[in-house]
Amino acid sequence: MAHVELRKVVKRFGSVEVVHGIDLDIRDNEFLVLVGPSGCGKSTVLRMIAGLEPISGGEVFIGDRMVNHVSPKDRNVAMVFQNYALYPHMTVRYNMGFSLKMSGKSRDEIAAKVDEVAGILELGPYLDRKPSELSGGQRQRVAMGRAMVRKPDVFLFDEPLSNLDAQLRTQMRLELRKMHMRLMTTTIYVTHDQIEAMTLADRIVILKDGLIQQVGTPIEVFEKPANVFVARFIGNPPMNILKGTFKVIDGRRCVAAGKSVFPVPAGGDSLGDGDPVLIGIRPDAIKMGDRIEKLPKEWLCRGEVVVSEILGGHSHLEIVVDGENELLAEVEGRVVAHPGEIVPIGFEFDRMVLFDPETKEAIR
Amino acid sequence: MREASRDRAKAFLTLLPSIILVAVFVYGFIGNTIWTSMTDWGGSGALATEPVKNFIGLDNYVDLFTGFLGGGFRQDLVNAVYYSIMLLAGAVGLGMFIAILLDRKPKGEDVLRTIFLYPMSLSFIVSGTIWRWLLAPQGGVNVLPAYAGFKPLDFAWLSSTGAILEFNWQNLFQVLLYAAAFVMIMVGLWGVRRDPRRAVLRWIGPGAAAGLLVWLFGDLLPQALFMEETHGFNLATLGIIMATIWQYSGYTMALYLAGFNGISQDLRDAAMLDGASEAGYYRHVAIPMLKPITISAVIILSHISLKMFDLIFAMTGPDNAQTGHPALTMYLTTFRANDFARGAAIAIVLFMIAALFIVPYLVSQYRQRRRG
Repeated sequence: MAHVELRKVVKRFGSVEVVHGIDLDIRDNEFLVLVGPSGCGKSTVLRMIAGLEPISGGEVFIGDRMVNHVSPKDRNVAMVFQNYALYPHMTVRYNMGFSLKMSGKSRDEIAAKVDEVAGILELGPYLDRKPSELSGGQRQRVAMGRAMVRKPDVFLFDEPLSNLDAQLRTQMRLELRKMHMRLMTTTIYVTHDQIEAMTLADRIVILKDGLIQQVGTPIEVFEKPANVFVARFIGNPPMNILKGTFKVIDGRRCVAAGKSVFPVPAGGDSLGDGDPVLIGIRPDAIKMGDRIEKLPKEWLCRGEVVVSEILGGHSHLEIVVDGENELLAEVEGRVVAHPGEIVPIGFEFDRMVLFDPETKEAIR
Repeated sequence: MREASRDRAKAFLTLLPSIILVAVFVYGFIGNTIWTSMTDWGGSGALATEPVKNFIGLDNYVDLFTGFLGGGFRQDLVNAVYYSIMLLAGAVGLGMFIAILLDRKPKGEDVLRTIFLYPMSLSFIVSGTIWRWLLAPQGGVNVLPAYAGFKPLDFAWLSSTGAILEFNWQNLFQVLLYAAAFVMIMVGLWGVRRDPRRAVLRWIGPGAAAGLLVWLFGDLLPQALFMEETHGFNLATLGIIMATIWQYSGYTMALYLAGFNGISQDLRDAAMLDGASEAGYYRHVAIPMLKPITISAVIILSHISLKMFDLIFAMTGPDNAQTGHPALTMYLTTFRANDFARGAAIAIVLFMIAALFIVPYLVSQYRQRRRG
């Protein structure tokens, strides 16, 4: 068990800098997810923590030890790779026991440890099979087992679920969460899938172009995104962003986007009349049907349904408000709306986020 | 259904010419050689338009292995065995070693790779001539120490008459049984960590028992020859072995290097994180993964060593008894001595030895494919 700290960590490949001085403090026992689009440097950060990639600048600490020049094998970290990286010529038993063998443990000790972990992961019947004789999900469990037998200080996961089908991914996600609850080992998990990030993380780190955009709990990054990028990246469907202007009408603070005028119940204290803003509204902050009854009167309006996608549990609707503002709404599946219909809708304006159109940063 | 059978007929017709050619020119001629080896075709009338060929059964073979005049062939056979073992160990070991060095991507790796692979492109006659110069008694390798201020060597690389590891051909059966016991014990020791029970019961136990029995009762075994005749590892073949290793380690290097490059970086990373050192990675992960390459290299090299001809011809000439080789003797017996039947018998012996290597390999491949 250990906390991990990154101080001004930089990574350059030749003359190209891909990670620009990242500061990050990962607490002991924490499940931290690094998420971002491909090429954002998240795997590079993970590989630098593992020691597989030399650090071009800054410092990495595992526990209280600076590990910049410590070789991977001496960092006591375990990693699960995207393609599992199981040794194809070894049986599951040997794959799982390999690290213990390398550290000079006795054969009995290795066997006991492997059996114990295989029991937890229900790999008992497969111990004498080779990786090629296992399904994707089983291989994934072996890769996890291989990491678990060592009792490492830190677990590193590099997109471990991206090779699995959707159903298996959901199942493995739960298993990962359970594993973390049982072992309480500091875990750093890299993914490009924001659902994985939201469901697994204690805290999420959103990376873009080698820079941290925001660090926070799943709810924080969802409800209070630090900038437009985070707002659009986290959440599916992504947040609606409208161009608008801040106005004070009859002493009431509001934002106008074309003909639409939305009240601003909180935040944006620094804004003055006429300041341009970007208005962020989560699709699930748009309500329809009986859900709008609980909302204040001035938060309601009417909109025309353009497209509706029915997904069962909920539906995605494209709605045009005041004839010009297109908004994507996520409403309950029971709500039936047909294209062309004009329906009453309500907004949870207390969840609205305003952004500076210049810097794209959130205005608090 | 009819379409399928027509397809099959087409496929068969397409293959037919090559089937016929292979049947005649490969298997037909092997059969013909076997037949020839069981005749007495040779001697003064061998080149007559209608030579006399009488069927004499296995007499030629019996004579090769137990005859008074077969001593030369027997030494050649022993040479071939030592030559094969040393070439395999040397070329596979050295090739693997160079591949590991180059796999770590040193500066100028591509240039070095070409340099190491280059000897492969030379013909054996050329490399034989080069090495003949290098191993000349008063030049090349022998004078190297003189440059460092030491006494030059005086070893006769290609004409030494010394021999080590000698045994009496009379005790051939004992020697073979000892060798078998040794191999069994080694196989057992190799697998003892994986499955100790099986290793002991199946390999080490029987191997040790066989060795003990031969040691106690070996004298009861029939003697392979009526007189004493010692054969061993002729030191004069060292030079030839060195030259062949020089020529072929680049080839095995290329095989292994291609294999190493094919191993995903993730596996290497995983091994590093699992606590394996560089050496540990190669020992436990990379080299075991390349077992198919090792097997191919062993098969190919054992072939080459069995039919080696031109390199020996170029280095020591055809008539040097110390460095004789069955393939060379086969040629001399057949085309210089015109003893066609005896030459054919030598050819078949070589053929059988080659089969010893290849048939188990083919069987295992076939089984694997059926399982897969």
